[in-house]
Amino acid sequence: MNILVLNCGSSSVKYQLFNMDEGIPLAKGDVTRIGMSGAVLSHKPFDRPMTKVSGDILDHIMAIEHVVSILLSPNHGVIKDKSDIHAVGHRVVHGGEMFTSSTLINEEVMMHLRNMIELAPLHNPHNMRGISACQKILGDIPMVAVFDTAFHHTIPDYAYIYGLPYVLYKKYQIRRFGFHGTSHYYVAHRAAEILNRKFEDLNIITCHLGNGASIAAVHKGKSVDTSMGFTPLEGLIMGTRSGDMDPAIILRIMGLEELSLHEARTLLNKHSGLIGISGVSSDMRDLLEAKKEGNNRARLAFDAYCYRIKKYIGSYSFAMAGLDAIVFTGGIGENSKEVRAKVMEDMDWIGAGIDAEKNNSTKAIESDISSSDAKVRTLVIPTNEELVIARETQNIVGKNVQDKEVKTSR
Amino acid sequence: MATLNKIVIIGGGVMGQGIARVVAATGTDVILIDRDLSLAHKAYDEISDKLDKEIERWGITESEKKAILARISPAGDYKPAKQAPMVIEAIQEDLEAKKLLLAHLDNICQPGTILVSNTSTLSITELAASTSRPDCVIGLHFLNPVHKVPLVEIVRGLKTSEKTVESIKEFASILNKTPVMVHEYPGYVTTRIIVPFLNEAMHVLMEGIASAEDIDSAMKLGFGFNMGPLSLADMMGLDEVMSWMENLLHELSEHKYNPCPLLRKMVRAGQLGVKTGQGFFKYDAEGNRIKEGE
Repeated sequence: MNILVLNCGSSSVKYQLFNMDEGIPLAKGDVTRIGMSGAVLSHKPFDRPMTKVSGDILDHIMAIEHVVSILLSPNHGVIKDKSDIHAVGHRVVHGGEMFTSSTLINEEVMMHLRNMIELAPLHNPHNMRGISACQKILGDIPMVAVFDTAFHHTIPDYAYIYGLPYVLYKKYQIRRFGFHGTSHYYVAHRAAEILNRKFEDLNIITCHLGNGASIAAVHKGKSVDTSMGFTPLEGLIMGTRSGDMDPAIILRIMGLEELSLHEARTLLNKHSGLIGISGVSSDMRDLLEAKKEGNNRARLAFDAYCYRIKKYIGSYSFAMAGLDAIVFTGGIGENSKEVRAKVMEDMDWIGAGIDAEKNNSTKAIESDISSSDAKVRTLVIPTNEELVIARETQNIVGKNVQDKEVKTSR
Repeated sequence: MATLNKIVIIGGGVMGQGIARVVAATGTDVILIDRDLSLAHKAYDEISDKLDKEIERWGITESEKKAILARISPAGDYKPAKQAPMVIEAIQEDLEAKKLLLAHLDNICQPGTILVSNTSTLSITELAASTSRPDCVIGLHFLNPVHKVPLVEIVRGLKTSEKTVESIKEFASILNKTPVMVHEYPGYVTTRIIVPFLNEAMHVLMEGIASAEDIDSAMKLGFGFNMGPLSLADMMGLDEVMSWMENLLHELSEHKYNPCPLLRKMVRAGQLGVKTGQGFFKYDAEGNRIKEGE
């Protein structure tokens, strides 16, 4: 079975085609600048070099048409016919309270997704545009929605409720949803495999440190808390987002600087975090460079970033009443030995600690970087959300086929 | 709708700049045309300055500014209009000038190119009559500051086609503006209602009933307006306000659109508001209000 995995953003589509029988990706790539002049399609077949095509790609339909035709192309393609795509898995950012697991897409699901746009106005509409475009281009093949929020649906009520009037939760679903669920699930599950233990027996803290960053407490195979909340703004300090802060601050700044809602939103989402504190960059690599050269604000941003992660690791180990493993993933988690070293400083008292040499030699590969005597293991695991989406799609489509067979055999 | 990958905007004043910026921010290429190339470049530089101010206010990021500017190309003649699917004019609010421009565009543009006027008080039907394609002429009234005001008025002339209206509605939604459909009538909704309001505030000031500061405070605090009427008039430009009033007076012949003598006096004295540093209040070169006693 070949499964196409799609992640549709406002002006981009990322794709990956998997051959599930062989368990390998056949090709991956993305389309950027959709709807703008000079859109670019980058395509990398599994066994051949990357190619780039540019041209006017006006909407998601055209983008997915281009993707399908390059997958079929004699030179760069990996399949012979459209019908060689057997199912599509879509990343959908927000599943709200309605969708607690991946689901086969039908008219009813689309209707519920439409009703939920208000919860994720920046993401869900584009995800849905991708779904509609696929329906037009690929016709009646099974499609599955895999939600970023789904893995966190097991968070207990006392952890997802905010200290606000309960009526706001009832009226507007103001509660913690959490994001990056697919990634947290993948690396936590993979950690159990690497440790050769049962997922259900472990307490794992997963740190997804990318441009957006979140951390999750995975207790006996289930997410029981996570740092992103109602929106991705809460929790860790990120590249350009503030993370946790006193909510009165923004009201105060809005008053002092006479900011509009839009300006306040951009301030918190795009001018804060690492770039805001350092004034140097939102990119950890630039920051480390500047820190080395003695830039004090770069040092401050780095320290604040790592301290916030450490604080969450502390809270979550108490929340789970125990800790077996800490996992680093995402661009920064997988690549920055400096961040890992700083976060893991002085953790021997809870039985955690890393081996400097192992840490230094680990970059974007799976590795156990714990010191040999550490009771709590520290792992680096590159995330693979696409693979999870492909597997979820395979499971659900497989199940659906069985259901149909059962029905017809009666 | 025909693909809108390139839009031509004519007029590098406040409105032309504002529209160019908003269109470019959606990822569409914009050609900004003014009477000559140096004026067009000046408009481009002013957009750049305004974007810098916006960054200071946390409204956008440095890379968003670069992305916007990269899509705006200044030009000093009308040649680029020949290939554009849509041309928006935002030149001065003068019937004859706009008619001349539209007639010229009608000659050089492809058949089917939509000609859009940003007029706030003039008759679209009359403007359209200067072309051979009245079905493709439509009014799209943006308000200043264009990037902040989430509204546009779509104005159809007598002969504007349904197809043109649909295209422009879609364009408005790409720009993330809520469109209000208005029938052709001088001043539409926004200008028609706001102008007598501003004028009345000027009468109150002229008659010595309250200070400019207090008039603005009263209306802001009393009715929840974001800006007081006199600050608003300063921001819009007093010459603009006066020309709107004169157009309304001319079209509707009603006494209530008679510009307040104080307004006439200030316009004659060249005290036009924020853009000249002096209107009902004083402003620095950045356009920030200078408070009394500072």
